[in-house]
Amino acid sequence: MTRFMKWLGVVVVIFIAAPLVIVVPMSFSTARSLQFPPPGYGLGYYQAYFSDPSWLIPTWNSIIIATATTVLTMLLVVPATFALVRHQFRGRSIADLMMLMPLAVPSIVMAVGYYSYFGAMGIVHTHIGVVLAHTALAVPIAFLVLSANLKGFDRTLERAAMSLGASPTKTFIHVTLPILRPGLIISALFAFIHSFDETVVSIFISGRNAETLPRKMFDSIRQEADPVIAVISTLLFALVLLGLVGPRLVAALRNRRPRVQAA
Amino acid sequence: MTGLSNMTERKNLWPWLLLTPLAVFLVVFFVVPLIDVAVMSFTEPRLTFANYERALTGTLYQKVFINTFLTAGFVTLCCLLVGYPLAYLMSVSSQRTAMLILLLVTMSFWTSFLVRTYAWMVLLGTNGPLVWLFQAVGITNPPQLLFTRFSSTLAMVHILAPYMIMNIYSVMRKIDPVLVRSAESLGARGGSLLRHVYLPLTAPGIANGCVLVFVICLGFYVTPVLLGSPREQMIAGLIGTQLDEFLAFGMGSALAMVLLVFTMVILTIYHRHFGLDKLWG
Repeated sequence: MTRFMKWLGVVVVIFIAAPLVIVVPMSFSTARSLQFPPPGYGLGYYQAYFSDPSWLIPTWNSIIIATATTVLTMLLVVPATFALVRHQFRGRSIADLMMLMPLAVPSIVMAVGYYSYFGAMGIVHTHIGVVLAHTALAVPIAFLVLSANLKGFDRTLERAAMSLGASPTKTFIHVTLPILRPGLIISALFAFIHSFDETVVSIFISGRNAETLPRKMFDSIRQEADPVIAVISTLLFALVLLGLVGPRLVAALRNRRPRVQAA
Repeated sequence: MTGLSNMTERKNLWPWLLLTPLAVFLVVFFVVPLIDVAVMSFTEPRLTFANYERALTGTLYQKVFINTFLTAGFVTLCCLLVGYPLAYLMSVSSQRTAMLILLLVTMSFWTSFLVRTYAWMVLLGTNGPLVWLFQAVGITNPPQLLFTRFSSTLAMVHILAPYMIMNIYSVMRKIDPVLVRSAESLGARGGSLLRHVYLPLTAPGIANGCVLVFVICLGFYVTPVLLGSPREQMIAGLIGTQLDEFLAFGMGSALAMVLLVFTMVILTIYHRHFGLDKLWG
């Protein structure tokens, strides 16, 4: 039984890996449309992606929208998280729960709401509309990451700074923020990724003017399955890999340096 | 005395001051749009209950609801059957192997739904590797794989499995190996080891994973729309069609409200037992 489970586990590894692996060679194919095995290898699709405004504009839109979403989300979430983690007040547990609600409501339900509501406000199919919607949806994620960090924060450090004569503001800038920095960075990164990946709401409210990359990909997959999507998939995939392995690699290199000096 | 009471008052004001910007934002850009959906479900195209009547009794809609629930249940079961052995493999592997598998799973988790859906399209496509493999083995007339219930279910299992795996692995790796060894020394083997040691100890992770996968699957839009058969829609896809093709905001809203209620019922039950913050944490 346990040996059977192990073998099943190996099969699952292949199942998880196969779709991720297959896209990469396809993106270097020279075939007109998707075809396996590729008749030859080249950079044709990459050239097509990097020279086609109908792909580059949505990419740029997504970067702008995700950046604005990240800034807005952090401006709203950081103070609120301090309030919710560090203060006792009536209604706190309800407030805590409310922060998670945007994650609990299915995206398609919000898409219906934003489509009509932003339509009435005149901001449907605009960058601002998408940023506002994405911010609402990114709040719970940024909050979860940040509150976990803040709960593990050792407050004696702040008390020590203040007992040595630092003002609350000084303590915040010189003690609290530096210690919290990794949490803040990860929280912001999650907000960025959430906006950059968000598909369902964008499909309905970004329109032609503020078209995001996921919306463009969705439309393209639905209509003609442009092989350029294999390129974007490979690039996104490389970004994820870089994001996951990158920090570990940097840490490993950093750890190695003193050893080299010692030798 | 007055100074002291002033101070406590100020202290009590602080959290509200910090909380207000976000609270106002969420009310205006989350709660109100949601209320808008609820209102539209009763007022579009005019003041009526007809949308709900059709949503709950129309044969087409009933079929879609049943299909959605069955699919979500089946996908959850498959994710469990796929996720459990993998979490087990990770927990008994060397640290290095476990790390590599975890890296693969996290990589899959962070790769956008769209990219993974597209990858399955490539894998199962008419000129894709699987058909090529079929032909290499000698099956010249392979069955239609793409745009069927099979392809959308397979892709959904692949996309949602990481949620299950991470949840189960997080509890499984905390199982004390001494416990397993002592159970083995007392004669527990294979199936009974699984039933009496592993399953009870990993139950919280299983519950978490199942609820998460089921709830996401209920409202899944992208993958069923792109990979599924147009004749076997799920709720989210149907809501999309109401908006996209018919501009039927009332009907779309009523269906959205039904989906919302189902989701909230499941999450409320979960919240009572475990606390909602644990689900995504």
